[in-house]
Amino acid sequence: MTCDSVARLIPLYFYGELMPEEEDQLEEHLHACAACTREMERQRALAAALDRRHAELPPTLLDACRADLQAAIQGGAPRYEKPAKGPWTLFLEALAATLAGFHRYRTPVGAVALVALGFFAARFTGARLPASSLSPAGEVFSTVRSVEAEGSGRVQIAVDETRRRVVSGPTGDRDIQRLLLAAVREDNPAVRVESVDLLRSRPDSGEVRDALLNAVAHDSNAGVRLEALDGLKPLAGDPQVRKTLARVLLADDNPAVRMQVVDLLVSHRDDSMVGVLQNLVQKEDNNYVRLKCEKVLRDMNASIGTF
Amino acid sequence: MAQDAAGAVGARLSLQIDSLIRAAQRGDQDAFEQLVRAHDQSVLRLAMNLLRSTEDARDVYQEAFLRVYRSLDSFRFDCSFQTWLYRIVTNICLDRLRKRKVRKEESAVVETSHGPVDRMEALQEEAAHANPERTLWNRELKRRMENALQDLTPRERMVFELRHYQGLRLRNIGDLLGTTEEAAKNCLFRATRKMRAELGDCI
Repeated sequence: MTCDSVARLIPLYFYGELMPEEEDQLEEHLHACAACTREMERQRALAAALDRRHAELPPTLLDACRADLQAAIQGGAPRYEKPAKGPWTLFLEALAATLAGFHRYRTPVGAVALVALGFFAARFTGARLPASSLSPAGEVFSTVRSVEAEGSGRVQIAVDETRRRVVSGPTGDRDIQRLLLAAVREDNPAVRVESVDLLRSRPDSGEVRDALLNAVAHDSNAGVRLEALDGLKPLAGDPQVRKTLARVLLADDNPAVRMQVVDLLVSHRDDSMVGVLQNLVQKEDNNYVRLKCEKVLRDMNASIGTF
Repeated sequence: MAQDAAGAVGARLSLQIDSLIRAAQRGDQDAFEQLVRAHDQSVLRLAMNLLRSTEDARDVYQEAFLRVYRSLDSFRFDCSFQTWLYRIVTNICLDRLRKRKVRKEESAVVETSHGPVDRMEALQEEAAHANPERTLWNRELKRRMENALQDLTPRERMVFELRHYQGLRLRNIGDLLGTTEEAAKNCLFRATRKMRAELGDCI
């Protein structure tokens, strides 16, 4: 063992990450080499210095975090519900949702989105808000964060305040676009659906394309994913979009999403999709999605099975 | 013998956690709360130590457990719950570290009954009574330590945090971060080398 190789192993030795035989060899070297022994001492000193930097948890922080979480959940954090319905009901619902394009949800969703976007704008500091379009009177919403008795009849109450502001402007406005892009990551799925719907008018922007792809691949709400897929229609020939769609097709748990992905993928002739579709046929448990894939493969003169 | 006993306790705890997860997956809110309480201290400590800001740690806590709440149904018991949870937490923390890489790191402020106190400053004040030279030395050490930690890439910082402060094995760290044990070893080596270079003769 040379001094160079020992230098590399010293941190691993210190943290007990070496194999027993490596440990023996290193210890043997340390016995014989004063320079490496000094290196080992410096490693111990570094660890001791860093130990003193360990942050202590402020005593009330954990309780505050637990209260935040409880409030968020009770306030209706969306939870992914596993459908307890049969495949037939599920398919009919999914098909209806796809065909209706979620128009039946649109009106209430729009109303909620306006309010939520106003809330969001108040918190968002990244965008320069168009000042002329801000509503002048902002309502303030208060949440009591903690109550502590101070003794002698006094009490200390910590209150968080959220100020609502409403921002309006043309959808093409750069600041509005930035707000919409940020709103796509908000917790409220209704806000996400509405934002994706508004963003889809600008699929030519790289940022919008990325936001739509991200929503298709990662959003927990199938409605948002379907809306984002709609927005990606003009980009169905883009190789990056096709790559993401192929991944979503094999991973998404919602049959309506898978149906729409197949539609998008086959709207452009692309023989490299044959393998993806063959894979899907093998694992697909929804009859209608499977039949659709089989038909697409037949239309492409490709075999349905894999060999 | 002691090891057997510890193993038995570990297995029992793991069974308890599994039954809490199953109950929470069925929509039992109490079970979810117990599941959170069994893990949230270590999550908060990790976030606090990495981000050095109570506000950021609070945000990480909220974001992590809300993600758990929303996606618990997709947990399939193919890894331990702690591993699954830590994957979520480390991703959120890495995102934040990357975003703030250009910003100067905040100090370890601790809230006390006398108001916010920087933990390192408190240590220095303590030492000042004993030895003023020591105070200067401590201040220099702190400055260099902050510089050294800021020089680390978010990934090096995360590997170092998980190994040094959280005591996780490098194999598990590699697994959490979606990389290999070898890559985690390299990260730890690079992190240590950078810190030693920055701290120089202070250690």
